[in-house]
Amino acid sequence: MVIMDQPQGSLAGAAKAEMRPSPVSAPEPAGETIVRIENLTIRYGDFSAVKNVSLDVYRNQATALIGPSGCGKSTLLRAINRMNDFVPNCQVDGRIVVRGRSIYDPGCDPVDLRRHIGMVFQKPNPFPKSIYRNVSWGAKINGYRGDMDALVEQCLRRAGLWEEVKDKLKQVALNLSGGQQQRLCIARALALQPDVLLMDEPCSALDPIATARIEDLIDQLKTDYTVVLVTHNMQQAARVSDRTAFLYMGELIEVEDTHVLFTHPRHPRTQAYITGRFG
Amino acid sequence: MTLHFVNLLDDLRRRSLRMAALVEDILNEACEALLSGDPALARRVILRDEGVDAEEVEVEKEVIRLLALYQPVGIDLRLLCAILKVNNDLERIADCAINVAERAKHLVEHPVHRTNTELRELCNVVQQILRRSVQAYGGEDLESAQAIRSGDTIVDDLYARIVQNIASEGATGPKSTAAMLDALSVAKNLERIADHATNIAEDVIFLATGQIVRHQQ
Repeated sequence: MVIMDQPQGSLAGAAKAEMRPSPVSAPEPAGETIVRIENLTIRYGDFSAVKNVSLDVYRNQATALIGPSGCGKSTLLRAINRMNDFVPNCQVDGRIVVRGRSIYDPGCDPVDLRRHIGMVFQKPNPFPKSIYRNVSWGAKINGYRGDMDALVEQCLRRAGLWEEVKDKLKQVALNLSGGQQQRLCIARALALQPDVLLMDEPCSALDPIATARIEDLIDQLKTDYTVVLVTHNMQQAARVSDRTAFLYMGELIEVEDTHVLFTHPRHPRTQAYITGRFG
Repeated sequence: MTLHFVNLLDDLRRRSLRMAALVEDILNEACEALLSGDPALARRVILRDEGVDAEEVEVEKEVIRLLALYQPVGIDLRLLCAILKVNNDLERIADCAINVAERAKHLVEHPVHRTNTELRELCNVVQQILRRSVQAYGGEDLESAQAIRSGDTIVDDLYARIVQNIASEGATGPKSTAAMLDALSVAKNLERIADHATNIAEDVIFLATGQIVRHQQ
């Protein structure tokens, strides 16, 4: 294993150039919109899960999607990297523009899109392979030509897992604890150098200590990535996100800076939800 | 949040309002002792301070407990913050009212006549401001709170007149210096009470709007 001298934070910038061209070459300044959702409606058959939602996701920020079960937050999240393409009878109207490119246009390759927009799921889902191969797999099949050992180490460091696994990289990933598996899944997503990381309730299967580590990690990842997070845990949304969007019955009720939404929400329905009066 | 928390919050709010009523009563009695020259009443008022101090600590403990256990947000968070701040202002108002009662005992023996009219007026105005602030707090009445905040200058004007009168009495008459200092202290404490009552109105504005208006025109 090659020990890298580069600081952890340099991963996104250093290895990206070797991987692939970015869909839009010039990086956008912090605070700029990296994902623009415009009048998005998503239907499963006759049921509208997301109704005419418009929302901007800002670069290098964590945006939390909150709302009661069935409000459409996971559907909305999955739409950002077209994971809903796998759902039968799912129809999408409206637009999602990622760094200037409409991702539902016929010319957009969803596989390529998902290289730029990684995803971490509710339940950790490592491959039944070694820790090393879990991280290297995506980069390898995408033709990564750099130093794979260095990439694996950097991704594991970035995910806060390196010190715990550096001596057992060849061991099967399924032997790791739930929290370690989830951080491995984050490292695996980072290996593809995504612009945006989607997280669908990433801590719901974890204990409080593992949860705290993931939350710290989200905070650190914002330096190089943009995070969109679905969570049922409102305190988690309050702790880790910069902006929070509240959805109810498929509609975007309110989106606001997190500290404002949790102290003085504008909409009575948001107020009722965050204070536990319903939902 | 659970119904249990909502009930606890409601209990605490009522407790804070009861403390506000208690402090209002202490101020009224202190003013009465001052204006009617009743040293016995002044002594009774002074004895009530301990109860306010103890209640202030209990309310604060409960606020901290609810913050720690329930991590409230939105209106619940704003209400707990408001209760904590109002709690502090109420305790300070009670202290100032006790100071008025202390001075009232002395002023019975050495009245400062030229300041009587203004002190009476100042007592009335400050009592009114506190009453309106407490009512705005109880009813979460934004309009009233905003009106209280914008009407604070009358107290400052009265206080300035009292200071001027005391200064001129000291220059022209053979009044007791101690009595004049007592009158000045009473005026200063009443003026402070008005400031604390205005703070309560500002906390009501925060409670209703989430805006911190303190130190703003």
